[in-house]
Amino acid sequence: MNKPALYLSAASTISHQPTFQNPGFSAALAQVEASSALISPDYKTYIDAGLLRRMSKILRMSVACARDCIEQAGADQPDAIVVGTGLGCLQDTEKFLNTSLTVEGLLPPTSFIQSTHNTMAGQISLSLGNHGYNMTHTQNTLSFEHALLDAAMLLREGDRNVLVGAADEHIDILNDIAEKLGFETASPLTSGASFFILSSESAGNAAAELTDVYTSGGAEYGQEEIDAFLDRNGMQIGDIDLVLYAGTPVSGAVRNIDYLSLAGVYPTASAFALHYAVDLLATNSEVRNVLICNTLRKSNLGLTLLKAVEA
Amino acid sequence: MDSLKEDLKKQIIEQLNLEDLTVADIADDALLFNDQGLGLDSIDALELIVLLEKYHGIQLTNPEEGKEAFKSVDTMAAYIRKRKAA
Amino acid sequence: MGVCITGIGVVSAIGMSVDENLSALREGRTGIGPLHYLRGTKASLAGEVKASNEELRAALGVGTEYVSRTSLLGLRAAREAWGDNKRSGVIRTGIISATSVGGMDRSEVFYKDYLAQNDPDYRLLTTHDSGSTTERIAKELGITGYINTLSTACSSGVNAIMLGARLILQGTLDRVLVGGSDALSGFTIDGFRSLMIYDDQWCRPFDESRAGLNLGEGAGFLLLEGEKSLELTGNKPICNVSGWANAADAYHQTASSPDGKGATLAIEHAIRRAGIGLDQVSYVNAHGTGTKNNDHSESVALQNVFGDRVPAFSSTKAFTGHTLAAAGAIEAVFSVLAIRDNLIFPNLNYRTPIAETGLVPATQLKTDVEVSAVLSNSFGFGGNNSSLVLTKYE
Repeated sequence: MNKPALYLSAASTISHQPTFQNPGFSAALAQVEASSALISPDYKTYIDAGLLRRMSKILRMSVACARDCIEQAGADQPDAIVVGTGLGCLQDTEKFLNTSLTVEGLLPPTSFIQSTHNTMAGQISLSLGNHGYNMTHTQNTLSFEHALLDAAMLLREGDRNVLVGAADEHIDILNDIAEKLGFETASPLTSGASFFILSSESAGNAAAELTDVYTSGGAEYGQEEIDAFLDRNGMQIGDIDLVLYAGTPVSGAVRNIDYLSLAGVYPTASAFALHYAVDLLATNSEVRNVLICNTLRKSNLGLTLLKAVEA
Repeated sequence: MDSLKEDLKKQIIEQLNLEDLTVADIADDALLFNDQGLGLDSIDALELIVLLEKYHGIQLTNPEEGKEAFKSVDTMAAYIRKRKAA
Repeated sequence: MGVCITGIGVVSAIGMSVDENLSALREGRTGIGPLHYLRGTKASLAGEVKASNEELRAALGVGTEYVSRTSLLGLRAAREAWGDNKRSGVIRTGIISATSVGGMDRSEVFYKDYLAQNDPDYRLLTTHDSGSTTERIAKELGITGYINTLSTACSSGVNAIMLGARLILQGTLDRVLVGGSDALSGFTIDGFRSLMIYDDQWCRPFDESRAGLNLGEGAGFLLLEGEKSLELTGNKPICNVSGWANAADAYHQTASSPDGKGATLAIEHAIRRAGIGLDQVSYVNAHGTGTKNNDHSESVALQNVFGDRVPAFSSTKAFTGHTLAAAGAIEAVFSVLAIRDNLIFPNLNYRTPIAETGLVPATQLKTDVEVSAVLSNSFGFGGNNSSLVLTKYE
C-alpha cells in the first residue's frame, strides 16, 4: 500500500459567513453573530429544479458545495463520495416525526425518505450520476474527521479524487434543547456545509496538503496525545503557525484561534475550520503549517494537520 | 372553468412543492409524469395518493391503481368524480 | 491471512444469542408476529426482539434508563461477539457500529410529550444522535480510541464490516468490533407505511405475490482480527472477510434501478476483491426485503453477474424482518454460520418465481453441502449498495 500525498484541490463552504465562492475570505472574517443567518447562494445554479423542490436546507447546502467543488477541480467524476454529519437531516426528521405523531390518515413520504443520514451522499451521487463508493459517517463531533480519514484511506487504496465533506443543519428546537440540557456555548448554534476534493495528484491548483488526521473517542484526551500525533509527523507544537481549536486552546502554540467563534457551533464545524485553513494557506505565505484541534466534546479528540503546498 | 380541476392544480403545487409553477402553468391534459409535462416521479405518485385522501377523502391503497388516475389533471378529476359517484 | 472473523454475536426476533438464532434458522421458525413491546404503532406484524427495555437493561447490568433500545440491542450482540477477550495496551482496538435511526425509539417518546406540552423529558434526547449509540456500547466494553458510526440506511451493517477490514489491512487497527443495530420505532414503521411498501401480511421475499416488507429489529456484531492481533490473542478464526464493495445506484432516491446497476457493480467488485471464481460462491444471502422493487432489481443483478448459473440463494428476512442498519451485520453472522456449519438457510414463504426473472430461492434447509464462500448483499435507500464475500478460513 503506497502513501500518496493528499492534496486539497477544491474547497467549498456554505455557512453563516461569506465563505461561498469567495477565495481569501479568511483574511477578513468577523465573529459570527447570534443574529446571523445562513448565506445561501442561488441554488438553482447548482441543483436541478426537479430535485431542488424537495430539498431541505442541509441537502441544498451539501449538493451546491459538492457541485462547486467538482467545478473548481475540473474533475468529471470523483471516485468516491464521503460525507460526515453529526445530526443528519434534522429538518425532515422533525417534520416526519411531527406528521407521524399528529396525522391520522396517510402520511406524505417525502420527509421520511429525506430523513436518513445518507441523504446528502445519496443526493450528491444522484445529482452527479456517480456510481462510486458512497459513505456516510456519523460520529457526533468527530463525524467529519472520520469522513476525512476514510477519504485518505481511499486514496491510499488507489483512488485519485475523492469528494469529502460534512454538513449539519440548525432547527429551532435545538436552541430549546441546548438550554434545557445545560449545553452552554459562547458562540451561537448555526448551520454549515463544507466539501472538498482530496486528490492524490496536484494539478497545480492545490494550495494545501493534508498531512494527517486522527480521531480518539471515549476518554478525556491529554496534551501528550497531541504531542504524540505531531511527533508521528515529525513535528513539534512550536512548528505549527496556527492552531484552530474548538473547546480548549492548545498550549505552547504560536497562535490559537477559536474556530467556533467564526463558524458558530454545529457538530461538523471542524470542516469549516479546514476550509478556513486551506484558504489561509493559499493566501497568506506566513502560514505554512496548521493544526485543527477539535475538542468540541471533551471526550472526543479530532486532530487534522495541514501544510502549504510548496510552490 | 372547472373548479375541481383548479383546486387540484393548487393542491398539486402545494403538496409537491412545485414552487416555480402557478395554476395557469398546468394544462388540464398535461402529462404529469412525463418530462414534457410536469416530470413527476414515483415519490410524487405517493404524495398524490396522500393528496387524494387529505383533500377528497378517497383512499387508494394500491399504487398501481394510481397510474391511470394520475396521468393528468383531467384524469384525476374524472377519477375523483367516479369514486364519489360510486 | 488477511482479515479473520473470530467472534460473532446476534440478537434478533428469532433469538437472543447466536445459538438461539441458529436453532430458529435450522427449524424454519420465524420471529415475525404481532407487536408486543412497542405499542401504538400501525404495524400488524414485525420482527420484534422478545424482551422489554427493562429486561434488556437488567440482563446487561445497565443502570441508567437514558439509554436507547438501539444501544441495548447493540450492546447485547457486541458482548457476545467480544466474548472473553481482554482489553490490551498493545493491540490497537476499535469499534464501528451502524445504525439508521440511532436513539429514535427514545426521541419519539420525548417528542410526543413535547407536542402535547406534557412536561417532556429532555434527557431522553441525549441518546438521539447515532454516534451516541456506539459511544455507549464502546463505554460498556471499555473500548476507547477509534469509535465510529456509519449510517447508509439499509446497507450500513455491511459497510461497517467493510470499513473495519480496510482499517486492519491499512494497519490503522489490529482488531475491530464491527456491526450494526437498530430498534423498531413508530417513526420507521410509519415511514415504510408511507412508502406503501409495508406488508400487513407476512413478507414473501422473491415470490411473485410479494407486497412489501415487515420491519424487524436487532443487532449483529463480529470481531475482526488481523495477523498481529491473532498472534497475541490466540483466537481461532472462524472464517475470512475476503471481498467487499460499495457502489451507488444513482438512479432514484428510494427505488433501485430496474437494470440493477448499483447492485451488479457491488456484487461483481466484491467477488473480484475476494479473488474467487463465480462458480466458487456456494451461497448468496440476499437482501431480499420482499418489496416488489428490491427483489426484482436484485434478481436482475444476480442474473447480470452469474448468468444462468445463479448459486443457491435465500433471503432470511422472513425470519427476522428487515432490521435496517443491523441487517447487513445480522446476515453476515448468518453467513458465518453457513460456512462454519455447512448450511444453506431456507427462504420462507416462497411459492412462485418472479415472472420476469424466474429465479427460485432455496426453500428447504440444506445440510449436505460444502459452503466455502458466501456472498451477502445489502442494498438501501439513497442508492447505497454493498456486498460482502466471506470465505472458509484457510
